Amino acid sequence: MRGKAARDPWPRQRAGLLALGRDHRRIVGETGHFVAERLGTSLLVWLLVGIALALPAGLFLLQQNLAAMTGAWEGRPGLSVYFELDAASGAPDALADALTRHGAVADVTVVSADEALAEFRRYTDLADALDMLDDNPLPASLRATLARGAGPEDLDALAALAEEAEGVAEVVVEKTWLERVTDITRVVSRLGAMLAALFGLGAVLITATSVRLAIEARLEELRVLKLVGATDAQIRRPFLYFGLVYGLGGGLVAAMLISIGILVIEGPLTDLLGSYGRELELAGFDFIFLGGLFLLAALLGVGGALVAARQRLGDLEIL
Amino acid sequence: MGQIEFHQVTKRFDNGQEGLKELTASFDTGSMTFLTGHSGAGKSTFLKLLLCLDRPTRGQILVNGVNVTQLSGRRLPYYRQHLGAVFQDHHLLANRSVFENVALPLRVVGLKPRDIARRVRAALTRVGLLSKEGLFPRYLSTGEQQRVGIARAVVTRPKILLADEPTGNLDPELSRDIMDLFRQFHQIGTTVVVASHDRDLIESMGMRIIELSQGSIVSDTPGAAASAVAGAPDTDGGDDGEPDHAR
Repeated sequence: MRGKAARDPWPRQRAGLLALGRDHRRIVGETGHFVAERLGTSLLVWLLVGIALALPAGLFLLQQNLAAMTGAWEGRPGLSVYFELDAASGAPDALADALTRHGAVADVTVVSADEALAEFRRYTDLADALDMLDDNPLPASLRATLARGAGPEDLDALAALAEEAEGVAEVVVEKTWLERVTDITRVVSRLGAMLAALFGLGAVLITATSVRLAIEARLEELRVLKLVGATDAQIRRPFLYFGLVYGLGGGLVAAMLISIGILVIEGPLTDLLGSYGRELELAGFDFIFLGGLFLLAALLGVGGALVAARQRLGDLEIL
Repeated sequence: MGQIEFHQVTKRFDNGQEGLKELTASFDTGSMTFLTGHSGAGKSTFLKLLLCLDRPTRGQILVNGVNVTQLSGRRLPYYRQHLGAVFQDHHLLANRSVFENVALPLRVVGLKPRDIARRVRAALTRVGLLSKEGLFPRYLSTGEQQRVGIARAVVTRPKILLADEPTGNLDPELSRDIMDLFRQFHQIGTTVVVASHDRDLIESMGMRIIELSQGSIVSDTPGAAASAVAGAPDTDGGDDGEPDHAR
């Protein structure tokens, strides 16, 4: 006996990187062959995984675009303050300073009574009518916009501040709009997360089932491989590649489905936006989105394959 | 390297049937042994336990002094890589050529393609099938398929070669050829254990014969050439001439 060497006559042989590379290359070739041989089934799997991925991915895209659009629409909430006609001329600026010092305010625009009048003249045809009046009928006003991330409670505090200020006639809080947007956003993102989880699970189950079928089809080969001393990792490897191929193919189908979907809704959506005087700018369908989609698809595919391999290969009876 | 010891090995199946009962036997490095007995006597169970395809209920199986029944699932593959196994149903892969079937164990070990080709051809030459390396198994005769199975079992140059009814489907002449092939590996120092119910054939080989019945050894006959010790070449003289009476 010579110490450890004699105790373990069958040491683990670590395959070198080169050997590992060869094994992977061979398996990739075999996987391609296997998929090509069963092209009908493979296409079906790709379609199923693709549909499962397209729905949540499309919803994510929709959410992105909604957010981008509301952002561009200056939907950011704030409050408008209208002053008394006879308020002191310094009152608007004083309130503006007080509001600016509050952390939740992004910016404050003051419109003095004269500026309001000038603007009114510029944008309407009623200049002649105004000339008949002795006094400026328009009040001074200011508009404060909330900073990003500020919530409804900040708006309440600001409104209270403004109402107590001198010479203030009316405070208009755009609070309902803010609350509605937050509620809708929450609903959409929760719905999206739920759909993503459900359909992601669906994609995993589809690949798992398909990989199980692939395992069944090659059971004889797996038994022989196990008999001649293939490690579990070696036996599992081809099927992880199957999962990868199924997942990536599904990702491709999903990308195609989404772009078809965009083409289909593009026309009506352009008309709809046109009626609001806006141009259609679809955002988010870019390389980062596609990269993320493919990565997710690949992970789900490999995950499904792992599930199947664990189920089927764990208790593989050799003979 | 290649010594096998069974110490009071018992295998009880889930249905209560006993495949082996307290079986104790040892096999020297380079020896050749036939296991015989009726079907159900325990021959296949013996080989399965040795290949670690199943675990015994009790007892130890030592190979080179290591109790292989305790090997972890992680280490088992490396143990199996040092064994060669041949079965009655040869388990060739129908969708791969003869060459690829024989190459499989070497691909598992991760040899370079050039070395694989060299060793596969050497193994095929030994079983006389080099000219058929490109064919698919279904184009071969049963005897040829069995020889491909043997080439696959020996291509890794295992120290231990096991066979379960390797001649089960073959006519007497082909069976004889296959057994001679096993003897050749025994002669180069491989420990060979062959399970076969073909008494006439194995008695003509002049090797050690262990007869099993209901999981126990009923007789253990040493080889005719008393020199059946490690690696000693046999004198083939007596056996070859007499084909035994057909049943």
